[in-house]
Amino acid sequence: MAPDRLFNLGFDLASTISILALVSLGLAVIFGMRGVINLAHGEFIMLGAFATLTGVRSGLNTWMAMAVAAAAVGLFGIVVERLIIRHLYGRLADTMLATWGLSLIMVQAVQNRYGSVTEGIPVPVGNFTVGEFSMSKYNFVLISAAAVGVLATYTIMRRTRYGLLARAATQSETMAEGLGVNTSGVNMWTFGLGSALAGAAGALLAPVVGVIPTMGQTFVARAFMTVIVGGPAFVAGTVSASGLLGFIENVGTNWFTPVIGQAMLLMAAIVILRFLPQGLTGTRLRR
Amino acid sequence: MKEMLSRVSGSGAQPATGSVQRDLGGAVLAFAAAAVVGNWVEEFTAFEWSLWAVQAILALSLTLVWGYGGIFSLGQAAIYGIGGYTYGFWAINLADNTGESLTAVLAAVVVGAVFAALLGYFMFYGNVTDVYVAIITLATSLVLFAFVNSTSGRAYRIGDAPFGGYNGMPRIPRLTWRLPGGESHELTRTQFLLFCVAAGLLIAVLIRVLSRRPFGRIAVALQHNELRTGLLGYDVRWHKLAVFTLGGAIAAFAGALFAAWGRFMSPPVFSLTPAALVVIWVLVGGRSSVSGAFVGVLVVKGFSSWFGGASGDNEPIVLGVILVLIVLLLPGGVVTNLSRLRQWAQSRISPSADTLGLDAETVDHTPEPYRAAPTPQDAPRTARLIATEAVTKRYGGLAAVDAVTLEFPRGVSCLIGPNGAGKSTLLDLLSGRQRPTAGAVTLDGQDLTRREPFLRARGGVGTKLQVASIYESLTVRENLWLACYAMPRDPEEADRRVAGLLDWLDLRDEAERPAGTLSHGKKQWLEIGMVVSTDPSVVLLDEPTAGMTREETARTANLVRELGETASVIVVEHDMDFVRQLDAPITVLHMGSMFVQGTFEELSGDDRVIDIYLGAHHGNGGPADDRGSAPSGPVDADSEAADGASTSRGSADADA
Repeated sequence: MAPDRLFNLGFDLASTISILALVSLGLAVIFGMRGVINLAHGEFIMLGAFATLTGVRSGLNTWMAMAVAAAAVGLFGIVVERLIIRHLYGRLADTMLATWGLSLIMVQAVQNRYGSVTEGIPVPVGNFTVGEFSMSKYNFVLISAAAVGVLATYTIMRRTRYGLLARAATQSETMAEGLGVNTSGVNMWTFGLGSALAGAAGALLAPVVGVIPTMGQTFVARAFMTVIVGGPAFVAGTVSASGLLGFIENVGTNWFTPVIGQAMLLMAAIVILRFLPQGLTGTRLRR
Repeated sequence: MKEMLSRVSGSGAQPATGSVQRDLGGAVLAFAAAAVVGNWVEEFTAFEWSLWAVQAILALSLTLVWGYGGIFSLGQAAIYGIGGYTYGFWAINLADNTGESLTAVLAAVVVGAVFAALLGYFMFYGNVTDVYVAIITLATSLVLFAFVNSTSGRAYRIGDAPFGGYNGMPRIPRLTWRLPGGESHELTRTQFLLFCVAAGLLIAVLIRVLSRRPFGRIAVALQHNELRTGLLGYDVRWHKLAVFTLGGAIAAFAGALFAAWGRFMSPPVFSLTPAALVVIWVLVGGRSSVSGAFVGVLVVKGFSSWFGGASGDNEPIVLGVILVLIVLLLPGGVVTNLSRLRQWAQSRISPSADTLGLDAETVDHTPEPYRAAPTPQDAPRTARLIATEAVTKRYGGLAAVDAVTLEFPRGVSCLIGPNGAGKSTLLDLLSGRQRPTAGAVTLDGQDLTRREPFLRARGGVGTKLQVASIYESLTVRENLWLACYAMPRDPEEADRRVAGLLDWLDLRDEAERPAGTLSHGKKQWLEIGMVVSTDPSVVLLDEPTAGMTREETARTANLVRELGETASVIVVEHDMDFVRQLDAPITVLHMGSMFVQGTFEELSGDDRVIDIYLGAHHGNGGPADDRGSAPSGPVDADSEAADGASTSRGSADADA
């Protein structure tokens, strides 16, 4: 195989994996830290994309608009946490249902506001060529963003005061409270962080996907499977599961169609869970 | 036992007798009413109403799967869609030749059931737990959505029937029937309505009947405590798979009717909104009430057309708000809460009208002394020899149990040792809750090492866990019934034995109380009673007397000695008084290895034993004092795992 072809395939694969990691990370933080499955995760991504769109349309620089969008979605997440999620910790099915309700509301509300036409913003960077293949420089942005996102999350969880408190609250909420940790506040920030990560994913994807109110559905199934397959150690889990599932999806997409790629990802995830019910990083945990 | 189901079905006070007849009677009445009204209203109204009936059937499938089976499936609408498309393919291709489309309905049911069974196999046999089931079913729907959406090309067709992609599949034949050699009859709109109503009512009655059968009771049991259900010898995975498959068949049936109703199928049936809609119907109606399925559909329909505007544009917002509000304010659902209100009102009028008590009388009129000896239909069970061969269990670098070779012959054997010695882990290896890293577990020379816990239970291994694992929200009687039914699988025999057991365990006064309200010691006692009533030949007891009073401990010691006459009993204990009372050979474990064996007298004078106890505790009181203190080391793993079914939550650590 010619080296340029090889590079093209590898670059494409890295992009798929990065997108998977980007859309899963926020979900993984919230699920990993608080055991909450945010079924509105896809809509948080969608919100990030629309916020970026709005920012760009009102004259902001694309990168600025993306940063503002991520922060705005993070803020929105905090509001949601205070209003709804806070009452439902420990009631897994109920949090799923409530966030599901939220997702229905969000899709329709955005649709009422923006209409259901596919919108888009211009890709802020151009293409480059390797041999016979022309590729978008923007994929470099996505790959680096995924790497930065993963590293930043890891650093926040491992190296900051908030991270320590959050992990303490995850391990034993009562114990943490007994030691004087304001677990309610920590939970709020955790949900906000996860939401901001989802918003950032949406913002980064806005130039390369059709921005429509229902775009969340496109990502949410893959994000869920990545998080579950990743297992309890969510940073390592997200990275390893994105790598594995992204590879499978990429192969399916290149050989067949994107839909087959998605279906293969799902089937692979189900088969993996049949044999590793705790996910890829679950085996090292005692059970 | 009917009380269990009346509570689970959520319809509240329910007479103890003639339940099937009553359900059928109600169904016939409802059908008669529908027939009268359906013939009276305009055809178009009848047409609209049939959709509600179809949707109620879909809601019933979730009531069965979620309300009775405890499986939180978000994929019922997807299976409904599969049923609809299957009906379409079959009917479009064959209806012209055969002149009927009932076989297409049958095909849809079969395909839906097979799909559910396949998906269920991977989920339940992979021990995927509740939330994961929800996500996998939801993700499956979304992938189906994407797939069907992409099938607009001419290549995607089966026979004459195109998938149609996002354009959908048009011209699906109506429901048509034909007797062999006779004319073919297309159902009129009124006939179709009545067909759907009849089918829905029949399925509702079927679910009620099923829920009263042992099958339904076991489904309820595993919803409350999977771990204990498995340890009693029930095959949890198979039961879940069966419930899920049946639910899939019902959903696909509804889907076939939907396709015949609208004569059109399109991909949005696999999208999030219909999936949410089903859950909302069931939530509104009450997830464990069959009538709730019907009520839920009507109420939600009314709400969304009331608030959603004529065009229905804002329907998702209305649905979303309903969903959030129900979860926050009314988690039980409308019907369940109404019946609770009614029960409350009744209890105000006549406090003695306790349906649970009434039921107890009907079951109890033939009390019979409990026999600890094997039941006649069982071949007399001899004690069996359970043994370990160099069995090792490692957690990371730590060997909780390190190459332990032990044999437990008939009679009582005690396992003692300081915290972290590996006692509970060893019991878990024997019961099958954990698989050893190396070595083997054998029962009468048969290799058990890889055998599932429920199969070991069926082979006569009874297990009492460190933290009492009982059905907290079921009554004491129901707890015992489930244990008594596990082995002989005979409902009447189980009823009889429960009556005897209640006397024998001296729990008659508490029989109708939820087991979760018992004292700590009584819970332990109940769990021991449940283990004993499966007639085990090997009994594993992990700290049986924790939380018991002195008298209860003494009674337990008597019971354990009595058990030791017919079975091999292995007791892990910290309470040295209790160990002394048992007067049995003792094995001391230390740091995961066998340390020393002997009688109580021999060991209590043994300096080495005293050393490991005191050494491990740095003079922090005697060995009997350490109960209740947070265990450290490998025992930690045991107490975490003892939470059983609830271990699914993604407990986190952001890498290490």
